[in-house]
Amino acid sequence: MRGGVEPQAKRRMIFPTVEFAIFFPIVLALSWALMPYPPVWKPFILVASYIFYGAAGWRFCILLAVVTLGNQAAARLLGRTEAPRARKAILGGALVLDLGVLVVFKYYGFFATQINAALDSLGLGFSAPLVALAIPLGVSFFTFQAISYVVDVYRRTIEPGRLVDVALYLSFFSHIVAGPIVRAREFLPQLATPRSPRNVPVGAAVGLIALGLIKKVVIADLLARSLVDPVFAVPQAYAAPDVALACYGYAAQIFCDFSGYTDIAIGTALLMGFVFPQNFHRPYGALGFQEFWRRWHMTLSRFLRDFLYIPLGGSRGGRLFTARNLMLTMLLGGLWHGAAWTFVLWGALHGAALVAERQFRGWARLPGWLRWVITFHVVVLAWILFRSPDLTIAGNILAQLVTPGPATLWTAPVVLAVVAVVGLQLVPERWIEAFRLRVEALNPVALGFGLAAVIMIVGATVPSEGVPPFIYFQF
Amino acid sequence: MPEPQIIPPISPRTPRLGAREAIACIFVAVIVLLVCEGPSIRRSGERMDPGPLRTVVLAVGHPAGWVADRLPFADLAHNLTAWLSPDDDLASAAGGFQAVASRSAPAVPPVTVDAFAPGALGSPAAAPKRALRHLLVTGDSMSMPLDAVLARRLEDGKAVQVTREPHIGTGISKTGLVDWGKLSVRQVGALHPDAVVVFIGANEGFPIAGAGGRELKCCTAGWAAAYAYRARLMMNTYRREGAARVYWLTLPLPRDGDRAKIARTVNAAIQVAAQPYLAQVRVLDMAALFTPGGRYSDSIAVDGRQRLVRNADGIHLNEAGSELAADVVMRSLAGDFEDVR
Repeated sequence: MRGGVEPQAKRRMIFPTVEFAIFFPIVLALSWALMPYPPVWKPFILVASYIFYGAAGWRFCILLAVVTLGNQAAARLLGRTEAPRARKAILGGALVLDLGVLVVFKYYGFFATQINAALDSLGLGFSAPLVALAIPLGVSFFTFQAISYVVDVYRRTIEPGRLVDVALYLSFFSHIVAGPIVRAREFLPQLATPRSPRNVPVGAAVGLIALGLIKKVVIADLLARSLVDPVFAVPQAYAAPDVALACYGYAAQIFCDFSGYTDIAIGTALLMGFVFPQNFHRPYGALGFQEFWRRWHMTLSRFLRDFLYIPLGGSRGGRLFTARNLMLTMLLGGLWHGAAWTFVLWGALHGAALVAERQFRGWARLPGWLRWVITFHVVVLAWILFRSPDLTIAGNILAQLVTPGPATLWTAPVVLAVVAVVGLQLVPERWIEAFRLRVEALNPVALGFGLAAVIMIVGATVPSEGVPPFIYFQF
Repeated sequence: MPEPQIIPPISPRTPRLGAREAIACIFVAVIVLLVCEGPSIRRSGERMDPGPLRTVVLAVGHPAGWVADRLPFADLAHNLTAWLSPDDDLASAAGGFQAVASRSAPAVPPVTVDAFAPGALGSPAAAPKRALRHLLVTGDSMSMPLDAVLARRLEDGKAVQVTREPHIGTGISKTGLVDWGKLSVRQVGALHPDAVVVFIGANEGFPIAGAGGRELKCCTAGWAAAYAYRARLMMNTYRREGAARVYWLTLPLPRDGDRAKIARTVNAAIQVAAQPYLAQVRVLDMAALFTPGGRYSDSIAVDGRQRLVRNADGIHLNEAGSELAADVVMRSLAGDFEDVR
């Protein structure tokens, strides 16, 4: 299921659940108690992280451990090998492992289906076996982090870490499931010394956790339930006003869902003394496509830039060369999100927009409001591909966008949620900053009461079937 | 490729406190939640599938619930936030299976172990065709994305209204979250559907209270009889005294052996449950279609081509599988209604 309620056979220990609410305070208290003793603290957090991850399926823990050991072995070998060809071979081996895990678990079914269809159309009898492999939770994130580690060691940006540190880097419960994609050079130094118990931004952390819960449970799930899921399931049943609102609604939903997850991840890490990079910065306020990608899923943009776009040659050639690199990067970035043509086309559309923005010299001279209108609407248009289960549904959505009819889903809470999510990204940042600082300055008891009140209010809005999984869990 | 500027997640002006304050803050929140939400934690645990997570949640939920029951804060919090709830209370209570059973007891005799004869299916009675105006597609997560596939086929240029009402994580043997006896009565009362498609069974296997409050465990004949009785009550509600047709899909066998055992029992119970209403209730055999010979497979041959039909969880049907299931439902609908092809 994409974006909708996922049929779940098994419950996971995701952030907004009772299980996590029990797990986190215990781990937080023990973590700070053990922090002065790294030989005890590190195994403790490692075990806690594996318990968190293993709640989704213990078999996934084995895969995570294999990826960890494989990459650590490669990093150690790189650390004591000087010959360039041997170093390349070691790096190649690690990349085959990481990308192999991704290809097998995430893309096998897609490629086998495409190959079978192609062979069938040629009249060849051979067919690849079709199996529905369970995608390990967070596989796209921890394999990318593993790649960043081994490549940084290869480039001699960092030294190989200790096994326990690398295992902790890849499995740390705050970021394993859906990022942010933290680089080894950002995380490993934070493990070198115990975190300072006198430097915890409690207000900021609690504020982020509360904000993340509101974004995910109150706004994203409301929009999914009341607007987006019905329209994208049966577009034919809705006319232009509803379909248009659903497209804007999905833009708001996916922002709240993913940035809500990130807020909680960053907030829990901050409480434990760790700092993660920011992943979203008012993306719908962007006045261009480059700017959008500097504000949306920033850690993925950074990864794609450093490990794909620049190695391809970046913008160090002519216009066509740069355009090729941009298109390739965005196509693969699209495919990273999922094994479907809709994701590839979503990436292609963003790639084409980035190329067009570079080629059209008059872009910067357009009025700011016009650049915003164009950027925002192309982004919303691209979300149609991202959200649609297949190209037929995407086509239906586009067709219904020009089909007149009544507005049946325009309820006050839904419209208000869409306007608020987009509108708050356009108001001057200092207004929000001032409010945030006031909240962050509250004393810990007030913050605790505030967090409990938010959790109770958020909990009251959860429907009987519970909180649907975060959209980015499937990636 | 644009160069993302990595912004730290916090402002330099953000006040810093100590780890003790961080722990104190979280524990204040925890205590407030235990006192105000203790019963909810206990209920969450009771609704979870058996396993270590359930044990942990109940280990917290039971004492928290006990404390909260003796203090006024839980009721106060509930009263203050109840208006935010997006759905009605559908958990087992007044109007549920028990109430429906007592009301309809003379018309629906209890199913006994003796009812389970092998191959006891009758053939559907012929009925005059009429127009299909309103179809309800309901069930647990099994009914997704079948509901959307059916809606796309039926609403495309036809005057059929399709209501999709999946209730994720629910089951006929599991009434803590949703009591299907209560829900089915509400659905029929509110929607008056001409036809109802039911696909449910991913979350079954929970003990069912039998006669005299005795707990019947899956997958005994007693459990199957109790399950069949509940399913029969639902069928009776959905068929609207003969005014509506019911299309109840059996479960394609899951990959997991324990779950497959439950699915076999559920399928047997469904067949038995439908027996008094074969003029209106069609049991559509998904087990034979997707797991022929009782053997699980991710893919099946369709028109000579192998196609992936199951989700990775080995339980649910994927989009392609749901299309095949929809073909069966559409053929059955076409037998009962005009203008359905």
